[in-house]
Amino acid sequence: MESEVFGANSSAVVVAHELKGPLSLSRQLALSLDFEDSLEGAREIGRQIAATSERALRQVEDLTRIARLEDAMFEMEPVNPRIVCDEVVAELWRLFRFNRRELLIDYRNKRKLVVANRQLLRSVVYNFCLNAMNYGGEELPSLVAIRDKGDKIRIDVRDYGPTVPTKVWREIKNGFVKKPVDIAMRPGSSGLGLYIAAKFANYMRGDFGLVRHRDGTSFYIDLPVSGQLSLV
Amino acid sequence: MIFVIEDDRGWESYYRRILKKYELGFFHDGVEAIAAMDEKTPDLIILDILLTGPTGFAVLNEMRSYSELERVPVIIVTSVSMKASIAEQYGVVEVLDKGKMMPQELLGAVQGAL
Repeated sequence: MESEVFGANSSAVVVAHELKGPLSLSRQLALSLDFEDSLEGAREIGRQIAATSERALRQVEDLTRIARLEDAMFEMEPVNPRIVCDEVVAELWRLFRFNRRELLIDYRNKRKLVVANRQLLRSVVYNFCLNAMNYGGEELPSLVAIRDKGDKIRIDVRDYGPTVPTKVWREIKNGFVKKPVDIAMRPGSSGLGLYIAAKFANYMRGDFGLVRHRDGTSFYIDLPVSGQLSLV
Repeated sequence: MIFVIEDDRGWESYYRRILKKYELGFFHDGVEAIAAMDEKTPDLIILDILLTGPTGFAVLNEMRSYSELERVPVIIVTSVSMKASIAEQYGVVEVLDKGKMMPQELLGAVQGAL
């Protein structure tokens, strides 16, 4: 079905398509200002444009970071995952609202710090959340959760949408994520966000995976606990 | 009534603003939309191609297989570049590129189709 839509399929094509979505929407929203009568309506359009274009910018930043991974530019350090998740949720709540979605948190970890790169971990959580926004249903909110898991801490994002196809589940479970379309979960998806998350998780030596539920999916990253005391 | 089949909910406010004088029904996947067409035949469908679940093409194929829906006009609004021949094959009245269209074009296409 993907080939019916894209023709000759390549990662570059699907990445371009993924970026075209928010850019097109931003442009159309700006053009629609002429059709808006109220000042508050115009302000709301402005807020939606900002939230939508930030999403595209994040994707561009992530793609740039992928190119720099080989240079080992990203140092590992003790990171408080709650702070990272809070930042992501604070950034995305408005975009979720414009998409008629809700994003909640559920932190249950007793140990505070993981060994990670803060920027990359933020991108992983961000892409998990965007994935949940795209695939989750309207009835139940998506959930960002942190919990202890042996000598690691698990950060996962749960959605209540269509569950991941078995093929995608197997690709991720077996670590066969070589290009975005390997984990594209539906015809309209390039799999870019999850591909980015998988690359960054791998760089940080974290375990990237997913849990299939009957009513949705949880994507997670497990990261080693840092022995340092939290100063935050 | 116009059915808008678009899985990116960010577009909903846009369509409501541009097509404010029309009654709109929003559907976020093709299965949901086809089911709604059992209850009510729309006057026009605005259809995205890359949807959750079945693509817009699958929706078109399904629609065209029912006599009641065979002649319902469809406007495709998509990010995918499409050949004119594909639109003709599916009996689509207009194909608009999400990235390039102007709101007036959308409005004109809707007015022309109804």
